[in-house]
Amino acid sequence: MSAAESSPLTTHVLNTSDGVPAARMALSLHRLDSNLKIWTLLNIGTINQDGRCPELISGADFTAGMYKLRFETGSYWESLGKTSFYPYVEVVFTVRDQDQTFHLPLLFTPFSYSTYRGS
Amino acid sequence: MSVSRLQQLKGHILAENKIKEMSASPSPLTTHVLNTAQGVPGSNMALRLYRQDPSTNTWNLITTGTTNDDGRCPGLITKEMFTSGVYKMLFETAQYWASMEETCFYPYVEIVFSINDPGQKYHIPLLLSRFSYSTYRGS
Repeated sequence: MSAAESSPLTTHVLNTSDGVPAARMALSLHRLDSNLKIWTLLNIGTINQDGRCPELISGADFTAGMYKLRFETGSYWESLGKTSFYPYVEVVFTVRDQDQTFHLPLLFTPFSYSTYRGS
Repeated sequence: MSVSRLQQLKGHILAENKIKEMSASPSPLTTHVLNTAQGVPGSNMALRLYRQDPSTNTWNLITTGTTNDDGRCPGLITKEMFTSGVYKMLFETAQYWASMEETCFYPYVEIVFSINDPGQKYHIPLLLSRFSYSTYRGS
């Protein structure tokens, strides 16, 4: 993906318990197949030092539909020697207009998380 | 009124209280849905509680419910049924907003959590708007 064609879907994952980006957290993007009603894995990635994961999906692939971003929060906390309440976090969202950009941050601690549609 | 009649009545009253106590035995797992966009409880929202079967990793439905006027759903699970394991609460968020003729970015919200000590109480609130939500382990 060229620099001029950035992913229309971005995320920013922040460990608000320690006040740091959640570097090295694994995540995956899925789309719901509207006919088969099953989730198709589109991409897997790792959060970088800035808490981001560029190139999640290309504009061409980002068709209207239902998507799911799955964040491996449990494994992340385990790698830091901590337990957490949530084995993982899945955020399911609807894309009606594929020409818009969608920024889905995740702010989390071992016992809480929040997400919103940002820009 | 005779003493024996009074004692009879006392017996009835105490028994009634006992029955009320037993049926009011609170669920060790509770939730509270808040519509933070409008500053009101998220009432009349459908929700479901599942427990994961550890051998097959499939989800078993435990309870179907709807939040009350206060955004709560008493009686989610009994102490006996509340064993250690991985649970999932599913909230029908888009349906909730659709009933107010609004769309929601999230067709539903699923919160998956681990219960290692079922002797404790677990409170799982959901603070929700059309374009955001948050949850935490509360009390």
